Amino acid sequence: MAFDIDKYTSTSKKVVWGDLDFGSFETNPLPQSTLRSLRYMADVEYHTVCYLRDLLVTPSHKEADVSAFMTMWNREEFWHGEALSAVLAAHGVTLDFDQLKATRLKLGWKDRLDPIKQSLLGNIVGKDFIAVHMIWGAANEWSAVAAYNRMADLEQHPVLAELLRRIAKQEARHVAFYATQARDRLAKSKKAQVLARFALKNAWGPVGSSIMEPAEVNHVMGHIFAGEEGLREIRKLDEHISRMPGLDGLTIVETSMKKYGITAGAPLAA
Amino acid sequence: MPDHKEASARGEADLMHFPAPGFDVREYARNAAASHRDDLGLDTYRSNPLGAEALRIIRYLQVIERATMTHLRSVLVTATHKDARITAFLTTWAFEKYWIADAFEQISLAHRPEGTDVDRAPFITPSERTIRESIVANIIGVPMIAVHMTLGTIDTWLSQAAYRRLIALEPNAQLQKTIQTFLALKERQLEFFEAQSRYRLTESKQARAITRRRLKRIPWPIGAKAEPREETHFFFERLFGSARDLVAELDARIDTLPGQSGLSLIRKAAHQ
Repeated sequence: MAFDIDKYTSTSKKVVWGDLDFGSFETNPLPQSTLRSLRYMADVEYHTVCYLRDLLVTPSHKEADVSAFMTMWNREEFWHGEALSAVLAAHGVTLDFDQLKATRLKLGWKDRLDPIKQSLLGNIVGKDFIAVHMIWGAANEWSAVAAYNRMADLEQHPVLAELLRRIAKQEARHVAFYATQARDRLAKSKKAQVLARFALKNAWGPVGSSIMEPAEVNHVMGHIFAGEEGLREIRKLDEHISRMPGLDGLTIVETSMKKYGITAGAPLAA
Repeated sequence: MPDHKEASARGEADLMHFPAPGFDVREYARNAAASHRDDLGLDTYRSNPLGAEALRIIRYLQVIERATMTHLRSVLVTATHKDARITAFLTTWAFEKYWIADAFEQISLAHRPEGTDVDRAPFITPSERTIRESIVANIIGVPMIAVHMTLGTIDTWLSQAAYRRLIALEPNAQLQKTIQTFLALKERQLEFFEAQSRYRLTESKQARAITRRRLKRIPWPIGAKAEPREETHFFFERLFGSARDLVAELDARIDTLPGQSGLSLIRKAAHQ
């Protein structure tokens, strides 16, 4: 089904939490390990603007629909960051703009080279590179939906759960855009399929793993995706991805989770 | 190392020690203006249409507003993107600009037969220079932020002047109302850009020199490259051809930015 960009942009809203009883965090606070995961998620959401940059240096931004989507998406993700940092603030954890700046400064040269690499690749490969971005985005957004919903289930905190589900709902709309774009573009081009397969297989990592410390990635992925239930979620993500044209048989999520030591507890069944 | 920081923990006496201290970015993000479609009064144009020249200007304004993402690209590949306060601002600014461009498009469409398709043609953007730009800008580092904030300042001044001229030349009540809304949005955006620009230019000699060099090379208005040269020519000719004093006034305002006097940027752009 086609993605209606006009409908998406005209209904794009910042996530709201003013109606939720944040006072309940005082009587029923979240455990430290959850706050640590939320901190990670907030950081990653705020970091969207840096991914946006990597997208913009390639031909992707020339397409009116893609450009419109990116404008809204970037803002929605910023607001997810704001919402999560409001939860943190209710627990006395502040996450201000200076701290985000510190995270970005730490990335150093890697961060400076990324757009150059992307730009070189994107401009050499041309239009087919957009397909890579779209499937990459889809994989990330699918992961985000799964992560937020799973965390809502795990925590059993009514206020947090409601907020996370609101965020997940917006992420699901992002999935719809990226997946529709990816499916169309992959279906049209064999070269795009080969490129996407190569990129996902060799370079994809859990959302946030390119910017956060490995110990943090480990904590969050373990928190959300460990155990039998978690493995089921991981495999669902791989199923979504491998159903795309030319990407059958890919198990990038399960493979990368294994790298971080996230398993079902027992050795994974083949 | 940056020669100043966006400190949040400083005392009130030191308030001026980070750029645009009075501008609450979070508040701005919270109150950003979204779609204007419900307030455009598009039906009124059916009985009281705009002239062909105004429509040509509106189309041009739409194209330069929607070129935001291209501009953002060259901003984000530099040290500017490290500053989370600035990216929070730019995220919201891009959102507001998207809806201004959308409004201009809707006004154009209201003058065409019903059911006319919107323009979905790929944007014309000069991409071949991104790599070089990005390398150079990263070597320059923090002073590039001054360049970007100054670009934002001057471009907003120019847009404001253009909007005012458009409604002076085309006294259509509905258009006036819409443009007034946009002028107010630009005013708020300007508050941030200008305070950032003045602060950063005042603080650093290097920032002043680099900004001066860069300003000379930029085609005005920002986004002009997304359109054929004759459209930019028409933009200046139609809006400022009989209002040379406004051009001089804009240049005089640019002169007040630390280290940027005597550039005559707008006069030169208008004469091309």
